Order: sequence, then C-alpha cells, then structure tokens
Amino acid sequence: MNRLKSFIGLSLAIARAEFKLKNEGSYLGIIWYLLGPLLMFGLLLLIFSSRVGVGIEKYPLYLLLGLIIFNLFQKSTADAVAIIKNHGGLIKSIRFPHMALCSAATLKVLFSHIFEVLIFIAFILFFKNSLFGLLFYPFILFFFLIFIYGSSLILSSLGAYFSDIQNIWVFVSRLIWLGTPIFYAVEGQNRLLYVNLMNPMYYFITISREIIIYSKMPEIWMILAMMVSSLLFLVMGIIFFNKLKRRFAELV
Amino acid sequence: MEHRIIVKNLYKEFKMGRKVRRRTILFKLASYFSGKQHKEKVGVLRNISFNVKKGEILGIIGRNGCGKSTLLRTISGIYPKNGGFVKMSGKVIPLIGLNVGMQERLSMKDNIFLCCSILGLGIPDIKRRFRDIITFAELEGYEDTKVYQFSSGMKTRLAFSIAIHCNPDVLLLDEVFGVGDEDFRKRSAKKIKEIISRGGSAILVSHSLDLVKKNCKRTLWLEKGEIIAEGETKKIIKEYCKSKSNRKHS
Repeated sequence: MNRLKSFIGLSLAIARAEFKLKNEGSYLGIIWYLLGPLLMFGLLLLIFSSRVGVGIEKYPLYLLLGLIIFNLFQKSTADAVAIIKNHGGLIKSIRFPHMALCSAATLKVLFSHIFEVLIFIAFILFFKNSLFGLLFYPFILFFFLIFIYGSSLILSSLGAYFSDIQNIWVFVSRLIWLGTPIFYAVEGQNRLLYVNLMNPMYYFITISREIIIYSKMPEIWMILAMMVSSLLFLVMGIIFFNKLKRRFAELV
Repeated sequence: MEHRIIVKNLYKEFKMGRKVRRRTILFKLASYFSGKQHKEKVGVLRNISFNVKKGEILGIIGRNGCGKSTLLRTISGIYPKNGGFVKMSGKVIPLIGLNVGMQERLSMKDNIFLCCSILGLGIPDIKRRFRDIITFAELEGYEDTKVYQFSSGMKTRLAFSIAIHCNPDVLLLDEVFGVGDEDFRKRSAKKIKEIISRGGSAILVSHSLDLVKKNCKRTLWLEKGEIIAEGETKKIIKEYCKSKSNRKHS
C-alpha cells in the first residue's frame, strides 16, 4: 500500500513538473489548451458540417466530443513514445520506478483534458443539451485512462529500443484518427464498422456520445468491450514494460 | 561489523559500436541508409569483489574510462548486471553526474519538490526539510529563480544538499564531493560524517587523490574494468601515482 502511495505521489510530482515545463516561456500558456482544440473544432466543423455531418444529430457536440477524447489518447501516446529517451539523464542517474514516467505523461494530458471538457460543457449549455449524461463520464474516463496507460507502457518501452517507433507511431496514430468515427458516422458502412469493432477508441467515443449527448444507455456488449480492451491493454503494457525495462539505462 | 554493500564477482558487459574489419558492399550500403551501427559485446567490469562496512567510506580511483561510474550504476541497480552478486542494505542515493532529476527550466522550489519525490520523499517530508535544503546549499532568496540561471557551483550545491537531506544510508558520490568553496566543502564533509556515524556508508569516486586521502581509510584502484589493488588508501594512492609516472616515462 505504501509503495502504491509513493508511486502515485511520484507520478503526480513528475506530472506537475512536466505540466509547468510545457507552459514555461509561452505567452498564452494554458490558454492553448482551450485554443488548440477550439481551432481544430472550428476548422472541421466548417469543412464537414454540410457534408458528412448532415445526417448526424447535434453534429457540433458529436464532433467536439470525438475530438477531445481522441486528443487525450493522441497527446499522451505521442509523449509516451519518446519518454524514455527524453528522460535519459534521469534514468541513467537514479534508480526509480520508470513506469511513473508513463503515468505522469497520462496525468499531464489529463490536466489539459479537463480544460477541454470545460469547453465541451460550455457548448452543451450553448446548445441547451442536458448535462446529466456527464455524470457518467468519470466512469468512462477511468477505463479510458487505463487503456491509455497500457498503450503508453507498450509504446514507451518499444520506443526505448527502436527509434523508428516514433516515426511509425506518427503515421499509425493519424491512421487511427481517420479510421475512428470522429467527424463522420460509421453506421451504414459495414466494412468500416467491422474494422472499428477492433478499435478500442471506437468504444470509448461511441459510448461517451450515446450517454452524454444523446442520453441513451449504450448496449451492454459495448461497455464490456470497453472494459475488457482497457484491462487487456493494461496487462499487456505491464508485461511488455517489465520485460523491456531492464536495459533502459543502457539504451538512453 | 555488518556490511552495507557486498559485491562478489560482478560482471558487466555493454554492446558497443565497433569498427567492422571486412565490410561488404551490401553492409556499406545498408549502414549508409540506416542509423544503426554494428555492435559487439564488451566486458566493462570483470570479476569485481569488495565490501563496504557500516560507517565506512570507500574510495575508488582510476583513470578516465576505467569503469568507475559504470560500477556505481551497476551496484545501485541502474544498469542490470550480467553476472555476480550485489547486496545493498538501506536507502541508496547515487549522485552521478549531478543529475538528481533537476529540470533547468523549472524554479528551484519546483526542482526541490521534484527531485525529493524522485528520491523517495513524500510531500509532508519535503515541506519539513525544504528550508534546511536551501540553507545548506546557501541559496536563500532564490526559491523562484529558474535553475538554468544558476551557476554550475550553485547547481552542484543544490543537488548535493537535496541528496543528503533525503535520508541516505548509502551515498554513491561520483566526482561531486568536494565541490563549492572551502566553507561548503567543510560543511559537506561534516554532513557526510554525520551520515556515516549513524551507520551509513559511502563510496567516493574522485580524480582528486587528496580528497580520497582525506576522507577514505580504504581505497580501490580500478583499471580497464578490473580491480588492480585494494587496501589502505595511502598505500594504494602511492602505487597508483607510481604507475602513472611510469606510464608517462615509457
């Protein structure tokens, strides 16, 4: 219990420092957390609202929620893939649980996600949608963070051994972004739907939309798929990381 | 007397980039496009055995590249060992190359909280020791200054102060002891003696033979990854200096 407590304390301390470092010297600082997703949202809304967004109910909310959920995944995995090499000096100097670097990366992005959720709440109020569904978001977020943490553990350990992973991940994460129904709907496109059934991001985004925007109860198998995939990634991540962490200090 | 550090037949190897003698055209072509280089296993520490008792400071001397820092990193568990046995008891704090996790673009206050967390202190403990760390490092009034604006002496004092205020039982000091001005050196030596007197131990790696002579009763001489001699500091340093002057003349 004490070890878990000190692990959480260390992760929080690193996350806090990284969060401060990210804004250090920036004129707009944390305003970028609001501005970045808003600009992307505005651009996509302008391009797609009269095309693929036509048949989608409450399209602005549909698009924004998809964007901010995917952002959390994309930002933390992009950080994770280079995290071992970026902290080479520290890893070579002190023995500490390296997993804390990945949990700190996830927590750091969670801080900025909170700002994005605040924007989303402002939009919900603007469109006079119900806020009730948001009460269930922490439950989805909990499993989503487990999934992100697991993915980060896999990517960070692979990234320490193979520099190519960083370039590959830029491409793969773009591919997942395009393949996940963020700015379009997957219904009616059977091939895309089958592909998405193997994409955990599809479950997180679809379940969040059903509950928060449309106030509907998602199908049980979808909730189960979300929970199983996140736990599976966590277990895989821990196994991968523990197998590969031995030589981190020699590689950085 | 009980031992804090026990090392037996330690072996460590690295995969290192080496020149390939016969290179085929295909190899040359591949190495031109790929960033990868040919690597071979090299034994960097061989057959290392020594003990450090509670309340003892062991000196380690040797030329650049003889494996001093690798030895500290391997016994502290930063590098995995490839053979042998290492046992350490108590909280080990290595001070290797002064990186205790400091971030240059953060303020001193943020750095103290970050580094102490990495070294295993909880927030209440850090808050309790915060003033002591700053006072010992003589950096009062710089709490909100970013560390990149510090001189190298100030950074060294801060790192040293953080390390000794994190309850170490074993201190591994790689070229960091004896920094700063005369007064800071005296206070550091006093603080280390305090840690040693309550049963702690230290390994002191230094090129400054005077420093080793002053602080260590026993010294280990490392050469090309192997122990050449171990024993009373004065005797070992004398042999080491003799071999150095022989090398110069030959």
